[in-house]
Amino acid sequence: MTTIRRRQVMQRRERLWGLLFVTPIGLQVLLFCIVPVGIAIVAGFTNWNVIKGTYDFIGLDNFVEFLTDKKFWIAAGNTVYMLIPIPFYLFFGILFALGSHRGTPGSRIFRILFFLPYISSIVALVVMWRWLFNYQYGLVNQMLAGIGIQGPDWLGDPAWIKTTIVIMIVWKMIGITSIYVLAALKNIPEVYYEAARLDGASAIRMFFQITLPMLSPAIFFLTIVGIIGSLQTFVEVQLFTSDGGRNYSAATITYYIWQKAFVSNDLGLAFAAAFFFALVILGVTLIQFRLSRRWVYEGE
Amino acid sequence: MARTNTAVRRTGTVVSFLLMLAGGVTMVLPFLWMLSTSLKQSNLVFGPPQWIPDPINWANYSRIWDAAPLATGLANSTIVTVLVVAVGTFSSTMAAFAFAKLAFPHKRTLFVALLATIMIPLVVLILPQFLVYAQIGWIDTLLPLIVPGLLGNVTMIFFLRQYMLGIATELMEAAKLDGAGFFRIYWSIFLPLCKPAIAANVIIVFMATWNDYLGPLIFTSSPENSTVQLVIASLNSFHAEQTDFPLIMAASIIAVLPVVILFTITQKYFVDSFAFTGIKG
Repeated sequence: MTTIRRRQVMQRRERLWGLLFVTPIGLQVLLFCIVPVGIAIVAGFTNWNVIKGTYDFIGLDNFVEFLTDKKFWIAAGNTVYMLIPIPFYLFFGILFALGSHRGTPGSRIFRILFFLPYISSIVALVVMWRWLFNYQYGLVNQMLAGIGIQGPDWLGDPAWIKTTIVIMIVWKMIGITSIYVLAALKNIPEVYYEAARLDGASAIRMFFQITLPMLSPAIFFLTIVGIIGSLQTFVEVQLFTSDGGRNYSAATITYYIWQKAFVSNDLGLAFAAAFFFALVILGVTLIQFRLSRRWVYEGE
Repeated sequence: MARTNTAVRRTGTVVSFLLMLAGGVTMVLPFLWMLSTSLKQSNLVFGPPQWIPDPINWANYSRIWDAAPLATGLANSTIVTVLVVAVGTFSSTMAAFAFAKLAFPHKRTLFVALLATIMIPLVVLILPQFLVYAQIGWIDTLLPLIVPGLLGNVTMIFFLRQYMLGIATELMEAAKLDGAGFFRIYWSIFLPLCKPAIAANVIIVFMATWNDYLGPLIFTSSPENSTVQLVIASLNSFHAEQTDFPLIMAASIIAVLPVVILFTITQKYFVDSFAFTGIKG
C-alpha cells in the first residue's frame, strides 16, 4: 500500500519537474516563434505600413504584387544560384575528413586551421574578402596578374559578385562539413572493412561499397541543412552590396523581403513573400525526404 | 606483397598530407593577409603584395578605438554573450534532461514542436518579432538579443537530449531510491556526466551569439547599443570607400580574436562530442 502511494507521489513529482524543466524553452517557442508566425500569416493579407501604422485586409493582392515583380524573380534566380556551394564543400569536406580519419600527420593542427573561417564572424570574413578580392589592389588579382591573368572586378561586376560569394561560402563551410563527416566515419564499425579485406576487396571498392553508403545519412543531413541555409542567404548580400548589387545581381529572396520590410516599409508585401517563401522551403525539404529513400542507407 | 602494400600506404599518406596542407594553407592565408595588412601603414598597402610589413606599424590598433565605438561594441557583445551562454545553458540542459529522462504530459508533442521551429525560415520569424518588440519598446535595446537566448537554445537541447539518452536510466532509479529529488539528479548526476557535450555546445552558442549580425542589424540602431559585429560592419561600409584597409583589418582581428582563442583551447571536445551526439552512421 505504502509503496504504491509512494510511487504515485514520485510520478506526480516527476511530471511536475518535467513540466517545470521545459517551461523556459516552451515559453521561448510560444512567445518568439508561434506568436510571430501567427502574426506573419495574418499580416501577409494586409497592406500594413509601419510608418503610417495603418492596415486593411486586401486578400491576395500582396501575393499578386510580388509574383509579378521582376525583381522578385531575379532574386529567386540568385537564390537558386546560392545552392552551388553545397556540392563543392561536401566534396572537399569528405576529402579532408578521410585524410584526417586515416591519421595523416598534422591532422590535429589542420583541423584547427580548417575551422578558422567557420568560427569567424561573417562580418569579419566579408571585410577580409573585400580586401582580398579588391579589383586593383587585392591579393587575388595581384597573384593572378603574376601568372599573366587579368582578374575580374569580383565585387563590382554583376557577372562576378555571386561567384565571389559562392567561393567564400565554400571556403567557410569545408571545416564544419569535414567535422560532421569525420564523426560519421568514426561510427563505421571496423568489422565491415575486416570482412571486405578477407574477401580481397580493393581500397577503392571498399570506399564505394562501405564508406560512402555508411556516410549517406550524414551527407543527407548536411544536404538538407545546407539547402535550407543556402536558400536563406542574406547577410553576405547585405554586407557585400549596398542595394543588392548592380542590376540586383546578388540580391536573394530574403534580401528582397528585408528590403521591402525595412527599406520600403511595405510590411504586408514582405510578410506575404516570407510566408510564400517558407512554404517553398518546406516543400523542397519534403521532396528531399521523399527522394532520400532511394539513396540513404537506413541501417539494419 | 606486404612490401607493395606498405609502399602504397605510404604514398597514400604523402598524397593525403599534401592535400591537407594545401587545404590548410588556403584556410589560413586570408587570415595571415588580414593580420599583415593590419600592421601596415594605411598608405603602404597599395603596392605589390608584401607579407611581412615593413615597418611594422601598431598604430592601427590604437587608432581604431577613436575611429569607431569599438569599446562600446565589445562591451555590449560581452554582456549579451555572457548572459545568453550562462543562463541559456542552464535552461537548455534542464530541458534536455526532462526530454531525455522524465515522463510528463505532452512530452512528444512538445519535442516535435521544438524541432519544427528549426525549419521555419528566419525571415518569417524576425519580421513579426520586430513588430512585437516595437510594441513593447525593445527596439534599439539589447533585450531582443538577450531575452530569447536566456530561455534556451533548441539545437543545444536536441544534441544534449541525444547525449543524455545514452546515459543509463538505472543511475536515476538508484538515486530516486536513495531519496534524491529530480533537481538533484539533474544537477549532481546528469550535468557532470554531460560535461564534454555541454562544453562543445557552449562554444557553439558562444560563437553564434558573439558573431550574430542579423539580430543586431534588425533590432538595434544607435551606436551605444551596437554589438561589435555591427560596429565593424559600419566601419567597413564607411572606410571601404576611403580605403583605409589596415584600420578595418585591425578592428576585424580584435573582433575575431576571442572566438579563435576559445576555440583553440577547447577544440578537442569538438569531434568527440560530435561523434556521440551527431548523426549516427
